[in-house]
Amino acid sequence: MFVILPILILFIFLWIFYYNSLIGKRNQVTNAFSAIDVMLKKRFDLIPNLVEIVKQYTDYEQSILTKIVELRAKATSGSISDTEKASLDAELSTTVRGLMVNVENYPDLKANASFTNLQTTWTESEEQIAAARRTYNAVVTDFNNAIMMFPGNLFAGMLSYTPIEVLATAEEERKNISAKELFNR
Amino acid sequence: MDSEISNNPVLQEVLNTLEIDRKKIASTYTVCYTVFGIAALLIVGGLLIGAATVAIILSLIPIIVGIVMLFQIDGDAQKYKVAYKMNVVATALKKINESLTFVPQSGLTEGEFIDSDLFTTEPDRYKTQDLISGTVDKTSFSFAEVHAEYKTETQTKNGTRTEWHTIFKGIIFVADFNKNFTVSTVVRPKSFGNTVGAWFSKNIFSFGNTEIVQLENTNFDNQFVTYSRNQIEARYILTPAMMERILDLNNKSDETISLSFISSKMYIAFPLSNNYFEAPIHTSLLVPDLLTDDLSIVQFMHDIVHELDLNTRIWGKG
Repeated sequence: MFVILPILILFIFLWIFYYNSLIGKRNQVTNAFSAIDVMLKKRFDLIPNLVEIVKQYTDYEQSILTKIVELRAKATSGSISDTEKASLDAELSTTVRGLMVNVENYPDLKANASFTNLQTTWTESEEQIAAARRTYNAVVTDFNNAIMMFPGNLFAGMLSYTPIEVLATAEEERKNISAKELFNR
Repeated sequence: MDSEISNNPVLQEVLNTLEIDRKKIASTYTVCYTVFGIAALLIVGGLLIGAATVAIILSLIPIIVGIVMLFQIDGDAQKYKVAYKMNVVATALKKINESLTFVPQSGLTEGEFIDSDLFTTEPDRYKTQDLISGTVDKTSFSFAEVHAEYKTETQTKNGTRTEWHTIFKGIIFVADFNKNFTVSTVVRPKSFGNTVGAWFSKNIFSFGNTEIVQLENTNFDNQFVTYSRNQIEARYILTPAMMERILDLNNKSDETISLSFISSKMYIAFPLSNNYFEAPIHTSLLVPDLLTDDLSIVQFMHDIVHELDLNTRIWGKG
């Protein structure tokens, strides 16, 4: 009895520790995703202004602008899953990048102060989202490791936790944003 | 760097003048050492022939002469060292970048050293000198030599014994960072203590609110431990490209560097054993490689701005 009791107490402590740490890790994942979400929302809010300004100066970029507006509408509709939202954002990001390159053909637009400001804010948000996505992937990996390794795997079954997929990092995000490429100076 | 001097007649002129002072100082030092040598010989000789008292009294004459000479030349030596820094080093720096200024008596203040959070131990003795500042395009930067130490006191039967230990000796580089951030991020070399601490705070319990940031670049994670209170901001600063650049920079220095990003500045500590920008006393000023080491370290620090791409200002920070 005197031998069993300390072992039992130790076992209970370990149980509590692993159980809590798994829940903590799961919450970190949720938290990291909501951080991406906040940043995505911030970025989506930039789009109406961007479209408005570009419209004033160009007649030829209509198709690209319509695509951007459509993508934004889809991404903010609320009826899509988190992963869908992330991939829509990646598409949106590529499209806007294409627009930024085309801007080279419109010197007046390039000289517009509000446009340059928007461009800067956009680039900043790109890097912030990239950072948030990397953070998300790091906590997801941590969580997946915890639930797949012993003894975490025992608790994972109990809590019905399953591995979460990491977000695919776009090739462009792996590169650092280059001012030259973006502003084509 | 040979051409730096030979192509600059003004610098050449200054060096010729200083060389006269240097020769005078060097020969005085040589005379002093010879005089002390004679005194030592007198004492040893006296002890051997059993006339210790006479020998000690006799040796007092050269000792006093030597000390007086040392005192007299000390003022000149100080002046010579300052003149070398102000007229030679400061002029030669301009070749690298016109904006570079050199203030030998200044450095990185102790307060800034502590606030930079590069090291966890607070210094008990702090020395700093040779502040060089400048601007490359939009980025202002500075660097200075720092020697920070802490002391330990142990009780022995003969009283308290104080020992000094080096926290850091080398050059600390400070530059205006090109991105906005609100909390601090610190990158320290991975040592045994750091690794155990990092594992403990990640897996068991975290002290305070500083967290370990595990980065996806395994090379980077093997060399450094990154601490920050904001996981996203740390990654915003340490982009994949930035991590590669830091690794490159680290490969170029002999010992592992430490970095911190605090209040819109970045600090990099380079541990170095050499004391730079000092005037030679016993070797000639007219040798072609006089400034090679000094200028290459300045060039290295100057190039960091380009190497870490600090001039790219597209992140809403002017």
